[in-house]
Amino acid sequence: MSFVEEPVGEKLSAHAPTLDLDEIQAIVLRPRPAPYFGTHVLLRVDNAQAGRAFLRRLAPHIASSANWWNAPHTWLAVGLTYTGLEALGVPKESLQSFPEAFRQGMAARARQLGDEGVNNPKNWGKPYGTGQVHIGVSAFSDSEEKHQRALAIAREQYEGFSGVSALALQHFGAQPSDRNSLGYKDGIDQPPIEGSGVDPLPGQGRPIKAGEFILGYPGEAGVPLPMPQPDILGRNGIYVGYRKYQSRVGAFNRFLHANGSTEEERELIAAKLVGRWRSGAPLTLAPDVDNPALGADPKRNNDFNYANDPNGRQVPFGAHIRRMNPRDTQLSRLTDVNLHRLLRRGSTYGLPYDPNALSEADDEVPRGAIFLFMSAKAMATIEFLQQEWINDGDFIGAGNERDPIIGRQEEAATFTIPREPVRRRLHGIETFNVLKGGEYFFLPSLSALNWLGNLSG
Amino acid sequence: MATQTLTKPKQDQSVEQKLQRLRELYADAPEIGQAALKNGLSMLTQELAAPGRALTAGRIGARQGKVSELTVFLPFVKGGAMRLRGFLQLLEGNFRAADAVGTVHDMRFVFVDNDTKLLFATAYDGDFDPYIEDFAAKIPNAMDLWLCNFEGYPGMRNPKAAADWIAKHQIAAEAWYVNSPNLTAAETRRLEKIGQAVEELLDKVG
Amino acid sequence: MATQTLSRPEQDRSVEQTLQQLRKLYADAPEFAKAALDSALPALMAQAAESRTSQSESAGRIGIRLGRVSELTVIAPFAPGGARRLRAILRLLHGNFSAGTKVGTLHNMRFVFLDNDTKFLFATAYDGQWDPYIEDFATKMPDEMDIIFSAFEGWPGIRSPKVKNWIVEHQVSAEGWYVAHPDLTVAETGRLKRIGEAVDEFLDKVGT
Repeated sequence: MSFVEEPVGEKLSAHAPTLDLDEIQAIVLRPRPAPYFGTHVLLRVDNAQAGRAFLRRLAPHIASSANWWNAPHTWLAVGLTYTGLEALGVPKESLQSFPEAFRQGMAARARQLGDEGVNNPKNWGKPYGTGQVHIGVSAFSDSEEKHQRALAIAREQYEGFSGVSALALQHFGAQPSDRNSLGYKDGIDQPPIEGSGVDPLPGQGRPIKAGEFILGYPGEAGVPLPMPQPDILGRNGIYVGYRKYQSRVGAFNRFLHANGSTEEERELIAAKLVGRWRSGAPLTLAPDVDNPALGADPKRNNDFNYANDPNGRQVPFGAHIRRMNPRDTQLSRLTDVNLHRLLRRGSTYGLPYDPNALSEADDEVPRGAIFLFMSAKAMATIEFLQQEWINDGDFIGAGNERDPIIGRQEEAATFTIPREPVRRRLHGIETFNVLKGGEYFFLPSLSALNWLGNLSG
Repeated sequence: MATQTLTKPKQDQSVEQKLQRLRELYADAPEIGQAALKNGLSMLTQELAAPGRALTAGRIGARQGKVSELTVFLPFVKGGAMRLRGFLQLLEGNFRAADAVGTVHDMRFVFVDNDTKLLFATAYDGDFDPYIEDFAAKIPNAMDLWLCNFEGYPGMRNPKAAADWIAKHQIAAEAWYVNSPNLTAAETRRLEKIGQAVEELLDKVG
Repeated sequence: MATQTLSRPEQDRSVEQTLQQLRKLYADAPEFAKAALDSALPALMAQAAESRTSQSESAGRIGIRLGRVSELTVIAPFAPGGARRLRAILRLLHGNFSAGTKVGTLHNMRFVFLDNDTKFLFATAYDGQWDPYIEDFATKMPDEMDIIFSAFEGWPGIRSPKVKNWIVEHQVSAEGWYVAHPDLTVAETGRLKRIGEAVDEFLDKVGT
């Protein structure tokens, strides 16, 4: 099923967009196509002149968000790490205006991210965390053919030129029925951005001030968030946390089998872990049994809140989607949930989910997800989410429990399912998604891209 | 154990009178403060209307429910700061000796004024004098080890003198908030045991 | 400082080493202190070896943390008239701090006036790390924060991007921090209290 020409489910806002859509890269506002195919290309800049020339060649091929609700389903995006900005010869004062976490790079923020134990950067695959990843180019498309053409365009800009080397090409693509590596439809909920030109889908909540996501606009507190300098470099830019996970499908299936003796029981547990059935139907609207039609309908599959579920009996407090977006859940710590949202582009890679995979060897079959988490303060938000909502449970009164899908589990970890008359506590939950690499990128506006490409000195 | 309110109870002042007083007070506050008061007045009304809770911890210090605060600035003797710092570092932050006393909630050691003074701030159960007597009785050596670094410390062998000496350097908090004011350290230990037993039971019947 | 676990012989050696170092440190301390050292230290060290969370860690940008509980200690000069305003508002509030409970992570906090009302000490014990929720205070309770903190010299306002720097400039990290129950957060305490009450009710019902 591929996109039709009209905005899927969304309606054009009564108000004209107030954001500089033709400056903002397409990836920020265009939704992920369905189905989707793509590649992340990770590049190293060997000398500043070559790097700048590469950006100049690439720039005309980077799409903007103009008319994003009615735009082609193929685009290229480009981002730079801090070491990449250094390699391009960006002036010192400008480099120093970037946030500390971005300058350190994701590997050096392992403590703040809780990337320890099995997720420790020393266990990552190359080239992640080496400081060598300077530029990332992502191609997204809704058909394999268009994907190959987009990738070819990207490759034409660096292949055959010295001074810019490709370190890795990470292909990704939607699995059958658009499912991720653990068998779920993903990427349903997104934060709506004020001034983007399209009204929020039902359940997305009220539009959040653009400045929380895109640099240069007022945020929720009424002032713009800190922006890199000079203005032309920072404005309309966005930060991206890129995190690559390996899915331990065998462990996941073994856990379901250990706690459910029938397929029905296992699927219910699978739903309780996430908060949605595999089809995407939310437990809140389909408490007992999956409803694939609901899961497939963007006007309905996100249209709920937790007002009628104060005790977590429909959706456990610790379920993945309830942690990642608590909505109106009463939290134990004073929190403004709108300050901790991220635009997400998940890109599933490798073999499809296999419900019969049960062995430890199955844990090592390359398959998983690369997440792009985007906002005007993505580093701070990702670190907040990791510390507060993913690798801890105190914010929902769940003690030491962690997110069942992307949490890094310790020994003898548990997952609690509130239930009448007695809660069900599942023991021995393991880390189902292991972090294999990551980087912090800055995605410049189109003008900023030109500025970078035309740096002198 | 006498407890008095920190100030004369102003229950005769109505909420409206209190709000008016506040407006007058903030007439010369910085912009930010004036704006905040204007925006926040309605929210303050609730707090101003509630009955007062502030108490004292006996001789000195503030108390909420069962939990008191002690805040002292102690002047170092020559070399005292270096010794204390070394002592704290070698203990690697361990003060399990305080467990032996059983009434301490928390305590912090902060070096201030260019290492000429130590700020010691603690939260504990009950009143001031019994608290010091408890320390003198249970862990006099540990107390001497760190307090000997300060001018005029008489030693825990004379607990009354030690208490007087501490009180001399204490500054009572103007305001003291405790999340669970009726939860003593001992009661917390009891609740932890009960909580553990309940989880085990629920695991069995779940 | 990562938590290390030492073997029994390693621990004994380490106690002996520490004792030696402390004896040197206390060489010119008063007699009774030297005596105290020999009496008290072995017991202290033995307890240190047992305790898992005996080593404090950083609470983030500044401040230290033991287990889940951190300390924040700020000493700041009053702005002109600030002491008068703050004292009055604290007295009018009479110890009622709904903001304290709203935040959900404050174990306790104290406000102390110093040096003839020219300086102010704010000290709190709270759950978690130093900075994750400061922006949340700015959108959820900006007025409460500014009513109080505008009493201090140079307070830029809770919404200002300079606010974290102001706090850091006036905060002093503790060098020693003890918490009786380092793994017990405010939320967890609330949960335990509710369980305790439920158990007491249950026991009442079954007549024990």
